[in-house]
Order: sequence, then structure tokens, then C-alpha cells
Amino acid sequence: MENNYPYLTNQVYIYDNDFISLLSLIKTLLKNKIRPYKIEGKEYNPSLFENIINIKVENNSNILRELKNIFGKENMQIIYYVYSSCENNKELVIYYYLLNYFKFKDNLIRMRNLRCVSEALRIKEKVAREAHKFKGFLRFKELKSESLYAEINPDNDILFILAKHFQKRLKEFNWVIKDVNRKTYAIYFSQKLYFANEEKINLKNVEFSKEEESYEDMWKEFYNIIGITLRKNDRCRMNFMPKKYWQYLIEMEDER
Amino acid sequence: MDIMEKLTILADSAKYDASCSSSGSTRTNGKFGNTAYSGICHSFSSDGRCISLLKILLTNICIFDCKYCINRNSNNVKRAIFTPEEICQITINFYKRNYIEGLFLSSGIIKSPDYTMELMIKTIELLRHKYHFGGYIHAKAIPGCSEYQLKKLGSLVDRLSANIELPSNESLKLLAPNKEESKVSKIMNYVKVNQNKNFTPAGQSTQMIIGASLETDLDIMNKSENSYHDYKLKRVFYSAYIPVNQDKNLPILKMPPLKRENRLYQADWLLRFYNFKVSDLLDKNHPNFNVLVDPKCSWALNHLNEFPKEVNSCTYNELLKIPGIGVTSAKRIITSRKFFKLNFNDLKKMGVVLKRAQYFITCNGKYNLNATLLSSSFIEKNLFLDDAEKEIGYGKQLSLFN
Ligand code: SF4
Repeated sequence: MENNYPYLTNQVYIYDNDFISLLSLIKTLLKNKIRPYKIEGKEYNPSLFENIINIKVENNSNILRELKNIFGKENMQIIYYVYSSCENNKELVIYYYLLNYFKFKDNLIRMRNLRCVSEALRIKEKVAREAHKFKGFLRFKELKSESLYAEINPDNDILFILAKHFQKRLKEFNWVIKDVNRKTYAIYFSQKLYFANEEKINLKNVEFSKEEESYEDMWKEFYNIIGITLRKNDRCRMNFMPKKYWQYLIEMEDER
Repeated sequence: MDIMEKLTILADSAKYDASCSSSGSTRTNGKFGNTAYSGICHSFSSDGRCISLLKILLTNICIFDCKYCINRNSNNVKRAIFTPEEICQITINFYKRNYIEGLFLSSGIIKSPDYTMELMIKTIELLRHKYHFGGYIHAKAIPGCSEYQLKKLGSLVDRLSANIELPSNESLKLLAPNKEESKVSKIMNYVKVNQNKNFTPAGQSTQMIIGASLETDLDIMNKSENSYHDYKLKRVFYSAYIPVNQDKNLPILKMPPLKRENRLYQADWLLRFYNFKVSDLLDKNHPNFNVLVDPKCSWALNHLNEFPKEVNSCTYNELLKIPGIGVTSAKRIITSRKFFKLNFNDLKKMGVVLKRAQYFITCNGKYNLNATLLSSSFIEKNLFLDDAEKEIGYGKQLSLFN
């Protein structure tokens, strides 16, 4: 990865595990021409040779808009997708992507021969692909209160992307999506969208509506019937719908 | 009869229609639901096909007697009919649980085409106006219905289409004696002329059954090419004939011709996105596709004198014709090479399948292999071995289609 800044191989910079604080840190690094060895979340355990560096980061709640004005909407979207991924080096990829923006400006996105660009785009596409899969594979169940409830287990942190999708689609309903691995929730209530952690939420004793079971049965029946026996093709199905998605797919219950 | 039993019968009798696509529409006006332009698959059935829509018939009662059809009048099968309200309830409850993108409604012909269309219109009107449903709806128009009904239904749905079913008039007479080609083309023409953002915004598609009649691949592809041109179709679906009935005019098959269907889909893809013409791929002396090699490779092997191409300078159209380079990677090559010279490694990063492409390209004048290897028998053998390993790319190509 190409630049000419002085470079010390043991400097680790820490951010507060959210998008805004990562952007604030990177902005500060870029401004002070510091080239980090690593950028990590706050739970990071440094090795013997690594130094955690604390630098003063200016906190600016308008940073999203500010950076959007500099880097443009498309680049900000790429960065957000990379940030949402489960890749180890995502913070550095974002850092180098933004750094190179100053050199190549709006041509950057076409410079796939730069590693930060090909990596950023590869990761972005991976996250987008998973989000797209879950837009189809997520399953809501209807609760007694008529709210809808879904659980998902994605590799990447796509809860926000999914919530935005369902906000447009099911705008007259109340619903909750839970990311089971991260224990985070998207809650859409009275036409407003919230995000929350487990501590703030009480979902014990949820009961399903009395119609829920019969629609699940109809869906399973439909699923079983719609496949044509003479065309059976497990391999093809597995390609499109790998086992890791089956856990919450009602129609796969009997095959799990 | 309870709603579950009806669903069983009317999904079972609808499943032979290949289309389940939910793409091409950006409806946002519904209170409840919207559509995604690129389409979304909600599940995949045991045969590996995308499930996107609730695909059902309004009824499987039918006054016609098409030889190949499970619902034909002379078959002794259990018949059912949904009420409009029942269809609405299932659609809405499936939709809000995120099982589906919307509804694909077709029907056997009950009493008359007009009567059947009236029932379909009533159902979809209820769904759109009473339940304010804004999800995707694809309806099959009933040939022989009135123009007024087409107008009405077309303004309610995202896609309205009619099936060609058989690639020639002779086969239609033989296997679907009650159907008339002119009635199908009348619908297709009506949709073409009137299509706009308020009338069938996602346009129309059609379907042909493959292998129930004697046409060659050339006949079928010519029919497709003409239909794309004449009716501005979004898609032609090819449905390998599944033997469900016995009849002296039907072929006797143990297995549906799936490989052939796959080759037709690949060729169709080449027509729509790769600027190929049918005449590039097939002619009177070679009226059928090679089952062993995909149509694009097959074409390249027959035109080896035009290769290798230099990726840093050849045109977009030339890039598209190189095996292993798809639309996305061709576009990436075009935009990137303005800024830097591409090498083999860059091509890989752009999604080029080098294993296939390497025979047909140079990068900065370099050929990746020993130049004497540019012979069709060598390439064919290698590509074929490749293909045999992954079952002739079956799954991968299909993923592009839904
Ligand atoms: S019109 Fe022909 S193809 Fe359609 S349901 Fe009736 S018999 Fe089957």
C-alpha cells in the first residue's frame, strides 16, 4: 500500500467501535499525516511489541456530512459497507482507501490495480451480497401483538442495511429484527426506527399470534409442492441457499 | 374444501411455469409493500429454482385440452378454485412474513376467457385497492379475452404476459388444438404498445416448452430473437418438457431435457447482453447446440482465427465475445484501462475467469500459454474437462437469470 508517510511498525490506534469514531480517528490521522500500523476496536489486546497510541481526536457530530462533501456519496457508501464487514483489516482498508482518494480523486474507484481499492470493492460486494440474500431469506413471525419478529445470524453487520429495506417495505407495521450473534436489535415502532442492545430490551415471554402456525404450515406446503421431482437438484439448491441460511428458514425445518 | 387443500392443488398445477422473476419494477406507491428493481429470491425449491412469487392458479378447471398440460380437460384430476379473498389473504400473510415478493397469478380457463379474466381482475383489484398491496404482481393474460380487460389488468400489475408455449404453429395445432397463435400475439402486441410506468412497468415475458415438439434449437432461438424484437420482451423462459400425460402426439421421455434447456438459456443470455445474433451461433448445417461446450466457447472455437485479442486495446464488443469475460468484467476492463495497463493479475481482480479466457487473450502482447496451444482441439479438451468437473457450469450460469 502506497504512501510516503513515516511509518513505525508498532503503532496501534484504537477507536470506539462505531462508524463515527472510526471516521473521526482516520480523519485525525490523515490530517496529521500519521500512517498507522493497525487500527483496532477498543477491546484489542496488543502484542508485546505493539504500542497503543492515544491521540486526541476531535469529535464532530457532523463528520458524516463533512466527509460526504469531501469524498462523495458513492465512496462513503463503499466505506460504510466495508465497515459493516467482518474482515480483520477493514479499518486499514478504509484508511488507505481515503488516503488514496486525495491522489486519484473520483477516478479512485476504477483503480482496481491498487490493493486498497480491489480489497474495498471486494469486501463491499461481499457485504452487499449477504445483505441481498437476507432480504430474501429473513423470516418474520407474527406475535400476539401483531408485531413481526425475525432473527438473523449474518456474518457481517448488515442489520442497518436490512432495517432500511424493511422500513420502506413494511412501513405500516411494527417489527423487530434481532441479530443473534451480535445481540443487537432493529426496532421499528410507530413508523420510527431504533437500534438497541440486549440490555435495553425485554423480549421474554413473546407469544405468537394464533394464525402464525397455519400460515407457516401453508408456506411449508407451498414450498414442498413447488419443486418439480423430475428436476430435483440438491447441488444447485445448495449453491444458492447454503446450509448456513437454513437455521431460520421455516420451509427447511424438516430437512435441517 | 379448506384453503390448505386449495393451495395444494393450485400450487401444484401452477409449478410448470418457469417464470418466477420479480424484477424490473420500482413500485413505491403501496401503503403496504414495494418492489425491488433487481428482484429478490426468497427461497430455492428442491429443484434449485428461485422462489420469488406465490405462484398459483386461480383455478385448475379448464375447458381446453392441451396435450402436455396436467390441467387439461380430459384429465381426471381434483379441481379447485380460489375466491379472490382467499388469494388476498395468502398473498398478504406470506408477504408480511417475508416469504415472497408478491403474486404470480395464472389460471385455467373456466367457462370462457372473458369470465376467467374477470375473476383475475377482481382478485387483483381487491389486493391493490382494498389491501393497498404494493408488492410485485405478475399476471398471465388469458388469450381470447377482451382488449378492455387487458387494459384494466395491465394497469394493476407489474408484469402481464402470455405464453407462446410451442415454437411453431404446426406444433401448436398438434399439441394445443384449442389455442391460436394470433390470440397470444395480440396480447403481446397490446402490452408492447401500451407499456409505460403505469401500465405493466416491468413489461412482459413469455415461455416456450422445450422438447415436447420437433423444433430444433435454431427454430427455437429464431422464435426468441423475433419475439424480443417484435414485442420488446424482458425475458423468454425455456421450460424443459416434463412428461405428465400420455398422448400419441407427445414424445416419450424419461427425463426432461435439462441440458438442452440450459444451453438455450445460455444462448438467450448471449442474445440479450453479449450482442450475439442467432445466426452467429447456429445455422442450417448446425441447427442444435453442442451439449458438451457452452455456446460462447463453441462460437470462439469456430472463430479461432480472430483470436487472441489484446485486452488493453480491443473493443468492448470484442471483449464480450471472449470466453471467461462477462459483462461486468468487460465494463471494468474498459474503464480501468484508461488509467493503467492491465496485466493478467489485474484481470483476475476484475472477475475474469482466466482458466477460460487465457486461450483467447494477450495482455500487453503476452500470451499466457505456449502459443502453439491455440488450437481448437486442445482448448476444447481442456475446457470440456473443466466443465465436466463442475457439471457444465449449470448452477453458476443460472444464478444470473433470476
Ligand atoms: S389452457 Fe391449456 S395449458 Fe392452460 S390450463 Fe388449460 S389445458 Fe392447461
